[in-house]
Amino acid sequence: MDQETLREFESRCTQEEPPACQSFCPLHVEARTLAGQVAAGKVNEARKTLERHMPIPPLGGWLCEGPCKEHCLRKDLDQALDLPLLERFCLRAGRTLPPLALPATPHRAALVGSGLSSLAAAWELTRKGHRICLFHPGPPGASLRALPPELLPPEATDEALKQLAALKLSFEEIPKVSPLWLERLCLDFQAVFVGLDDPALSAESLGLRPEDLLLNDITRESPRKNLFLALPQPPSKRPFIEALSAGKKAAASVDRVLNGVAPGTAREKEAAGPTRLRAFPETERPKPPSRPADPLRPSPEEAGEEARRCLNCNCLECLKKCVYLRHYRAYPKKYAREIYNNISTVFGIRKANSMINSCAECGLCREICPSGADMGSFCAQARLEMVADRHMPVSAHEFALEDMLFSNSPEISFLRFQPGLEKIRWLFFPGCQLPASMPEAAGAVYAHLCSGLDGGVGLFFSCCGAPARWSGRPALTGRVAAGIREAWEKAGRPRMILACASCRLFFRAELPEIETVTLWSILKDLPCPSEKAEPERLALHDPCASRHDRATLESVRAILNRLGQATEEPPLSGRLTRCCGYGGLADQANPALGLLYARQRAEDTGQPLLAYCIMCRDRLRAAGLPGLHLLDLLFPASTFEAALERPSPGLSERREKRLLFRRGLLRKLWGESPPKEENMPEPPLEIAEELLPRLEDSRILRSDLAAVIRHAALHGPLFAQPEKGIFLAALRPRQVTFWVEYEERPDGSYFIRNAWRHRMLVPGVPGEGAESPATLEGFAAEGGRV
Amino acid sequence: MEHRLPEIKAGGWICRKCRKPLESRAVEITYMGSSFKVELPGCPECGFTFIPPELAEGKMLEVEKLLEDK
Repeated sequence: MDQETLREFESRCTQEEPPACQSFCPLHVEARTLAGQVAAGKVNEARKTLERHMPIPPLGGWLCEGPCKEHCLRKDLDQALDLPLLERFCLRAGRTLPPLALPATPHRAALVGSGLSSLAAAWELTRKGHRICLFHPGPPGASLRALPPELLPPEATDEALKQLAALKLSFEEIPKVSPLWLERLCLDFQAVFVGLDDPALSAESLGLRPEDLLLNDITRESPRKNLFLALPQPPSKRPFIEALSAGKKAAASVDRVLNGVAPGTAREKEAAGPTRLRAFPETERPKPPSRPADPLRPSPEEAGEEARRCLNCNCLECLKKCVYLRHYRAYPKKYAREIYNNISTVFGIRKANSMINSCAECGLCREICPSGADMGSFCAQARLEMVADRHMPVSAHEFALEDMLFSNSPEISFLRFQPGLEKIRWLFFPGCQLPASMPEAAGAVYAHLCSGLDGGVGLFFSCCGAPARWSGRPALTGRVAAGIREAWEKAGRPRMILACASCRLFFRAELPEIETVTLWSILKDLPCPSEKAEPERLALHDPCASRHDRATLESVRAILNRLGQATEEPPLSGRLTRCCGYGGLADQANPALGLLYARQRAEDTGQPLLAYCIMCRDRLRAAGLPGLHLLDLLFPASTFEAALERPSPGLSERREKRLLFRRGLLRKLWGESPPKEENMPEPPLEIAEELLPRLEDSRILRSDLAAVIRHAALHGPLFAQPEKGIFLAALRPRQVTFWVEYEERPDGSYFIRNAWRHRMLVPGVPGEGAESPATLEGFAAEGGRV
Repeated sequence: MEHRLPEIKAGGWICRKCRKPLESRAVEITYMGSSFKVELPGCPECGFTFIPPELAEGKMLEVEKLLEDK
């Protein structure tokens, strides 16, 4: 992954941009942070936040006019947040340490005037360790002392001057200024700042011509050499915040001049202006502003009440909708950096592997993000690179890939023409999961298609290859796609009817030459196989892979309409539907998070579900939500209640149902019986009831148990507890070692008491499974080891 | 690499072939090119090693994941 890809993604996610109150503040005070701290009662921290950006805080905090109020999003709700109130509260109630200066430098600069801008510049420059001389006509801070005490209490000016003296600012009172005096000053010092906001000074008295006052907005440089200025501002232009900002910016320029750096380079971010942050504050009811008894001295309760009015502007829209993005406790821009670092890691632990593999790649974030940032395609690219660099943890997708290869093996996969026909115009492709969950319904659909469509319908049972693509393995993906292409060509290039939305995405990406339609757009135009709508309203759930497939979204609704089935659309549906957690093999790599995806979707609907993707239906059922597949309505095989509650088949059951679907249809429609070797007898097993969920979690199949038992029956188990009549056998048929604890029954059957697995290689375990790097070679180099 | 594990008990298992009770001894286990010497119960005669479920699904799984992320 190159840096450009990262930058491109980062530039889309605006979460790290400042909120408008901060971006429009000439000083960039972090108002959102400050309000949060005051609201949490952390007043000392709030004061620190203020002091980070506010020059000469004892004055600035009192005099800030709050330009942020014009840009506060709260103002459209009721009234803008009163940040100056919070600033005054921080100054009064927050503790502060005496200001610290950096080690002394040999550089000298002169400041003229003792108005707010000059004192702000003095505060900034003395803290940098420079030797600063402040020349003031009349007593220092005289113009500030002239302000009404309700605007600025006299003790605030005392405190400010005390702090500047502690910072070793040298005060020089001058009786009179003149043009010649300023010229000499500019020769004596490396840089000179004049704060014309001090009414004791004027441009004329210093010999400054109108052209000398044409300043650079950011650097405050005058066309006259080494001279920086602050100009007086009328009351309408917020003179105080402008003076503070001018003093601060000029000080930054002076500091650069003293250090031999150009004053104007890379300072664009200092300008006040609009932010890129797309803020979506929570809509909430109006909250009237706090009205303190004494606005100059708000109590902690009054300040807290005002601070809690802050809308805490953030984007985070995607996090509100996606359980995955919330799970890692940050936001996409940060995740992208973590993923980039993960990919670039040469030595050490790759901490983001699980994050990369837990994204469902469902595309919801891209729909929600105002700038279209797509975490899914970013993770997909990361997976490709992890596989290419042989850093993809083999356990993340191994089971899904084995399951795919099982579905594509000659034992399961088949393609047949409609019985009695030698040519077909259509080819029904039910996918690997529909027959693994509802084999009878898949068979009924095929019969319905055969009777309803002209030109002959073939049946092609196989896995499309989506797991290979999701797992980031292009060569394996290409091989599966090539197998499908070859079979389709041999069948005379029929139009393919797909029952699964993920298959359709796969075909469009990998097999664009094959013309496909979804089952639903075909069924919409055929006679409805069922007449009976159910009285209960069902929540219609769209699969994430169909979010951009308008024809399918509309076809399903047309079918339901014709059937007269009442449905409701959950809060997020159609283009904005949520994933059940199966997408992107998220639940394979991270089962715990996979369950959260399903639970979240179940909570959206809150009523019996109607899905038309079998994995959505089964996963939401497993998450506790009763639900139907659309085929349950169209081809009912049981009562409505029984269909709603039908459990999601386990992993072994899915394999068995695929076998049954194949054998059943081949026998019934084509009169084929399975060849002898397919009938290899399995040892009769009974599995302890309480063990079944654990076998599912550990992805131990019934066929794995049978292989261990079969081996033990031939060669004897490894260990025994003779007094209890129990045995322990182990086998490593591939890169996993299985252990099975069992009893032998007098009738020759086996009772499975316990089973477990590990990947580490332990000496002495029989079997052909090599050490694990071979597995990496297998799947990562995509040799297709299974 | 030497790894300390809490002592693994043989839990009453004996070797089916040699009829010997299992004894704890150092065994080399490997994963993803890394080898570890650990004390595990096994048959003193034929050398078969016993991996109990708590170990396979606990510490062993943890180390497997760690090595996969390395």
